[in-house]
Amino acid sequence: MTDKNPILSVKNLCKKFSRDLKYNLYYGLRDIVSDLWRSRKENIQLRKKEFWGLFNVSFDLFAGDILGVVGANGSGKTTLMRIITGIYYPDAGVVYKSANKKITAIFVLGVGLRPLFTGKENIYIEAAMYGMTKKEVENKMDFIVEFSELQGQLDRPLGNYSSGMRARLAYAVALSTEPDIFIVDEALAVGDAIFQAKCFEHLKKYVQQPGKAVLFVSNHIRKVLKVANRVLVMDDGQIIHESTDVKGALSFYINNCLKHLDEDQRQLKLKKINDYNL
Amino acid sequence: MLIKFIVLRVPDKNTSEQLIEWHSYKSTKNTGWYTIFKTIRNYSYFIQKLVQISILKEFKRSYLGLLWLFILPVVAALVWVCMNSAGIINPGKTEVPYPAYVFLSTSIWGFFIEIYKNTNNIFLSGGRMKLMVRFPYEAFIAEKAIVHLLRFTIPFVINLIVLLFFDVRFTWTIFLFPFSLFPLFILGMAIGLLVSIFRVLLEDLAIFADQAMGFLMFLTPVVYAPDLQLGFLGQLIRINPLTYLIGFSRDLLTKGSFYQPVIWAGCILFSFVFFLLTVRIFIIAEPRVIERLIK
Repeated sequence: MTDKNPILSVKNLCKKFSRDLKYNLYYGLRDIVSDLWRSRKENIQLRKKEFWGLFNVSFDLFAGDILGVVGANGSGKTTLMRIITGIYYPDAGVVYKSANKKITAIFVLGVGLRPLFTGKENIYIEAAMYGMTKKEVENKMDFIVEFSELQGQLDRPLGNYSSGMRARLAYAVALSTEPDIFIVDEALAVGDAIFQAKCFEHLKKYVQQPGKAVLFVSNHIRKVLKVANRVLVMDDGQIIHESTDVKGALSFYINNCLKHLDEDQRQLKLKKINDYNL
Repeated sequence: MLIKFIVLRVPDKNTSEQLIEWHSYKSTKNTGWYTIFKTIRNYSYFIQKLVQISILKEFKRSYLGLLWLFILPVVAALVWVCMNSAGIINPGKTEVPYPAYVFLSTSIWGFFIEIYKNTNNIFLSGGRMKLMVRFPYEAFIAEKAIVHLLRFTIPFVINLIVLLFFDVRFTWTIFLFPFSLFPLFILGMAIGLLVSIFRVLLEDLAIFADQAMGFLMFLTPVVYAPDLQLGFLGQLIRINPLTYLIGFSRDLLTKGSFYQPVIWAGCILFSFVFFLLTVRIFIIAEPRVIERLIK
């Protein structure tokens, strides 16, 4: 919260999804036909078999923030990130960002990696995927090798890498794009403890540079607790809680997940969660 | 249920750094041709990488590697030559030797059908990558086109050598041959791009299209001569633009003459307009297809 002006501002974002596969495809076709005739309009009427994947989501991201986004599986976290990145188009709402800010998102790891190619070749492939040029990759090569700690392994085919090693490679490449808004969506889940610790350390330092911010999406409560300075809690496509009190927000999140249980059961579950997670 | 809850909160004006609208419900891709070319240029390194991957990955496990790109067409040509010398292929009454005729026609047909096969699957190939990073799909189209051209150069050169073996004598028109393939290229690509949308959203139509493309080969004079009297089917052959597009390219090589130049020009115009239209449709439809993509 070093800066009062947001570098990313999400306003009233809505996204519909369909429950039924056939309806899903049919609506897709209908949307295309209507797009061909007229430009897109705000579309906030649910059709048959549709539900809100995201509903009226608004938040601001400030420079220096590590904004943790938590929520049960299927609460719309990744959908929100995909809209911010520009992969999905919202049905209503707008994403604002400061001009010349670059967004890099890293979702589940290993996407776009080619198992038959060596680690080094994969660095070039991944970097090209993020829109880097050959020269930029070569300039960043030392950083990537150093950060991923894969010296000596880079000539092996990537298919032989463990999932943790792939995670290191992909994460290092994503970081080398020097994003202003870095979206980490469950990307660190498979790295080993030492690497994760290093990443968190790095993220904390990273956002201290001017104009940088991180959106950290995770289900690992403890991790969010350690890195985030602000938390959004999502449920059912909506933001139900936003707070700078990270610990409070997380216990709100857990309680919300258990809200359908009665008091005794809740205490029991809470104890279990505490045992395993917090 | 129509809820008008949207009261758009525009960000404060007194910000030092101006916020711009980055992405919204009314975002549309700029479908202008200049933008398309600019995107392709900006992503040229990515395209180069994609091309490298798709050519290399096929032979990555083999010891001979890229040599296969030469070996396979040579073997195919040799089989053809052997069948011919064994007399399996019965020569008909064509002006050029029948084997040469079929041989050339099928490779031109292959050129057309392969670009269709490469592009009609553009959303589904490549795994989940396309749901994870924001890509311009133009880059993928460019990749498919370049890979296709690269992969067809070698067989075509080998086939030309085989044609010499079949007593075909080339004239200067051989130099026009590569250019005459261009309309086939864009037509195949246009059909492929259109079908790629249906491949995700209306698979029935995509399956139908695959079958129809296979059947189309028999409605095009590829294994028989164009002047064959076939009654009703003959009518279909006559209105099939591929008859002229393939016939023109073929006659450039085998006869050194122009096959039906006026109708051919018409077919080129048709291919071109169809291509421009399809690329527009593709780019407008692409975000809608991606949000319906389930992987």
